[in-house]
Amino acid sequence: MKKKLSIFPSILFFLILLSFFYLLISDRNPSKLPSTFIDKPVPIFKAKTLIDNKTFISTEEFGQETTLVNFFATWCKPCVEELVFLKKLASKNELKIIGVNYKDNSNKTVKWLKELGNPYSKILIDSNALIGIDWGVYGIPETFIVNSKGIIKYRLIGPITEKNYDEFYVKIKESEK
Amino acid sequence: MISSFGNFTLWIALSLAILQLLISMKKSNLLTIKFNRFAVKGFLLCTLISFFSLIYCYVVSDFSVLNVFQNSHTSKPLLYKFTAVWGNHEGSMLLWILVLAIFNYYILRLYTQNNFIFISKTLETQAIINIGFLLFIIFTSNPFERTLQIHDNGLGFNPILQDPALAIHPPLLYVGYVGFSAAFSFAVAAMNLKEEENIYWYYYMKPFVIAAWTFLTIGIAFGSLWAYYELGWGGWWFWDPVENASFMPWLLGTALIHSLIVVEKKKSLKSWALLLAIVTFLFSIVGTFLVRSGILTSVHSFALDPARGIYILTFIALLGGYSLTLYGIKSKNFLNKNYFSFFSREGSILVNNTIIIIACATIFLGTLYPLLIEIFSNNKISVGEPYFNSTVVPIMMPAILIMGVGPLMSWNKTDIKKVFLRTYPSLLLTIIVTCVFFYIYRSYNMLGLLGIILSLWIIFNILITSINQFRSKYKKKQFIKEDIPKLSIGMAMSHLGFGLLIIGITGSSIWQNEKIIKMKINANTTIQNYNIVFNEISDIQGPNYLAIQGNFLVYDAKKNIVTKLKPETRYYPVTNNTTTEASIHTNLLRDLYIVLGKGNINEGWIVRIYYNPLVIWIWIGASIIFLGGLFSMKNHLTKVKRIIL
Amino acid sequence: MTKTLLSIIFIFILTHISPTITKAVDPDEFLQDPKLELRARKISKNIRCLVCQNQSIDESSAALAKDLRILIRNKIKGGYTNDEIYIFLTDRYGDFILLKPSFKFSTSALWSLPFIFLIFGIFVIFQHNKKSNKIIK
Repeated sequence: MKKKLSIFPSILFFLILLSFFYLLISDRNPSKLPSTFIDKPVPIFKAKTLIDNKTFISTEEFGQETTLVNFFATWCKPCVEELVFLKKLASKNELKIIGVNYKDNSNKTVKWLKELGNPYSKILIDSNALIGIDWGVYGIPETFIVNSKGIIKYRLIGPITEKNYDEFYVKIKESEK
Repeated sequence: MISSFGNFTLWIALSLAILQLLISMKKSNLLTIKFNRFAVKGFLLCTLISFFSLIYCYVVSDFSVLNVFQNSHTSKPLLYKFTAVWGNHEGSMLLWILVLAIFNYYILRLYTQNNFIFISKTLETQAIINIGFLLFIIFTSNPFERTLQIHDNGLGFNPILQDPALAIHPPLLYVGYVGFSAAFSFAVAAMNLKEEENIYWYYYMKPFVIAAWTFLTIGIAFGSLWAYYELGWGGWWFWDPVENASFMPWLLGTALIHSLIVVEKKKSLKSWALLLAIVTFLFSIVGTFLVRSGILTSVHSFALDPARGIYILTFIALLGGYSLTLYGIKSKNFLNKNYFSFFSREGSILVNNTIIIIACATIFLGTLYPLLIEIFSNNKISVGEPYFNSTVVPIMMPAILIMGVGPLMSWNKTDIKKVFLRTYPSLLLTIIVTCVFFYIYRSYNMLGLLGIILSLWIIFNILITSINQFRSKYKKKQFIKEDIPKLSIGMAMSHLGFGLLIIGITGSSIWQNEKIIKMKINANTTIQNYNIVFNEISDIQGPNYLAIQGNFLVYDAKKNIVTKLKPETRYYPVTNNTTTEASIHTNLLRDLYIVLGKGNINEGWIVRIYYNPLVIWIWIGASIIFLGGLFSMKNHLTKVKRIIL
Repeated sequence: MTKTLLSIIFIFILTHISPTITKAVDPDEFLQDPKLELRARKISKNIRCLVCQNQSIDESSAALAKDLRILIRNKIKGGYTNDEIYIFLTDRYGDFILLKPSFKFSTSALWSLPFIFLIFGIFVIFQHNKKSNKIIK
């Protein structure tokens, strides 16, 4: 019994180290939280739009074409850089982009978009982060890919940049499969 | 240039370490010992020079050195320029190497005619460890790396890091972690001993283990102390992975010390001691790996360089793989020749060791479980304070109970009656004082009462036994008749300190009273029996900050003034940082702790007031443990010198 | 620049720093009913601040923490039970947001292993005791 027991520590040790190696080598990012909404339908919610002050009803807006939902704010520096890529995506006419203005000042946002350009087909006002919380947003910017059936297929944490644009575009294409 | 010189001496140190390895590997004779002396002393000298070179670069603010640029600034007070040397990854690794070199040297000093094969084997293992860390520093974490651009000033001006407790915390911890490397080396050498060599390896190991454990204890205490007064919650332990990484080797080190005591006296538990010596050091370096590799970070921090992580992991795999496999093969040579009843001193140590290891395993499980889940599913979970509090705390309680009565038991089987006779005064006193406490405070908190009972149990047992022992110094016969093993000063102090520590832990965790309110000037509020008046708010200009300071007058129930508390919110313009400085009034019974939040003249300020009972006993207890450890080290060194040299 | 940030973050991690401004829960957020407020504090202490190192939303000064604190209090006022509130949050943020791991199949090892360790430990001690009693006799 004793003999067998004394091999146990080394076996346990190797198993633990193996898992550490795996974690180090694998492509994980310890700072990114996986979304609970992947492959699930869009949350049902209502909101006011920014520019024309209409009511936005989620059930009417999703389930028709590929849609990006982008949470942004004027006080978020990376969001400025991201706008370039959002405009690029919007110009493709393959999808529409809904912006959610997160905890921001509406007047500021209108000015900001006038100055920098507006890639959004609609902009929703989320002044108290409730829409964000309903989507599991924990920082901005975050962008969700919703396919034409209204299912969330992917969440990007952080801005769309030069580095990840191509990969992100591939994810958009894949969302329809 | 001094920095190039510092780098150069690292390379020399590496060659000397390799020399030490080669010399130690050869069949030793007195000539090789001579060369080893040269290698070991040279290694120490080089690492000292290298370390002082880095200090020099910091003190003169040489920003051509990348490490200095990243972590220092001309505006830093000299003391903190000095402590910034080890307040970063590369510099702290250089400190590791220095402490390794120092312990390496003390192993060398143990050479005698009779033990040179054993000591050489120890130095061989130690050399491998030294080389491993040196390679790590030179190639992946070199503090002497140069900057690519010229900089006028550095980036290291974060005021939070300019703190005395935070400054001394790493060196103390490193003496702990590195000291366990010596135990590891002794264990490997012991397992490689041949039958004929009659070496008492445990006598060699013990002083190093006690030194390591003692400094680890006080290092952890300083870390908690800093967290207590700096973080603003009156909390001092959060079961954070970084904290767990230091607590696990501490637990295992405790088990190791006690196993070595049994090995010395009864020649049993040898295989336990060997395994613990190996595993304590492995946990020390795994802990270092975990917190520096970026594998355990929270949601919004960067992953550190994975190349470094892979290097350390490979190093750990080699060291651990070799030592544990060796253990698997050789441990049968160290099996208990004599068994013992568990109603004896050695029995109580065995039981407590088991409990300590279970506690350590639980902490390890909780710390790593989120990683395991990540590997096997796409989910992320958290294992936070509530988990550890509900598992580790109950597990430790029986160990604390046994700790009270263990020292009173004699070696070999003890008569239950005799133990009861020795312990019933403490039992009575514990019950009486607990009842008094209950009468005064009327707290129905079960956990709290349990904590009080356990700590009083330890304290009274130690005090009464010590007093009896002191008295019976003049009645030697009776003591021998009673067959009670003598309490050594070191052991009595450490155990007493631990009892006091538990009182502090219990008081501050269970009976903390918090009050969060908004107060306008001249408003007052009460907490426990204190009346606190918000006297005024003022603007303060500090050396590198602007502060808003609140002035609070604290009155007791008899309307006498107790103290003035002055919490601040500080703004550091250079870093654009804001910090809060709590104001604390301490006495033996409680801490009064105030934090100033945001606010303004019209609406008032958010004020957080904490009444933290018995907190000071945590720090007092830890200090007494530290002193006890020092006494123990001194006593044991004298013993070792007598037996070995 | 990244390396600097790395070193700074490293030191933060090494010394378990929390966000520098410990403003945390605001008396303005408090619910009127002290019992409900106590519930809110208790729940908040179990919810992880997702943008902090290792803190609950009760202690954190982050904006998201405050939003969640307010949300929890609104839900309590709205009659949700504690479990319903936890489910609401984990539906959106996953189990990561709970500081006390839930009792599920995936955490069964986490919660049962300490207990199993204890049983094993007791077994080891009794075995040892049996053996030694045999030998002594």
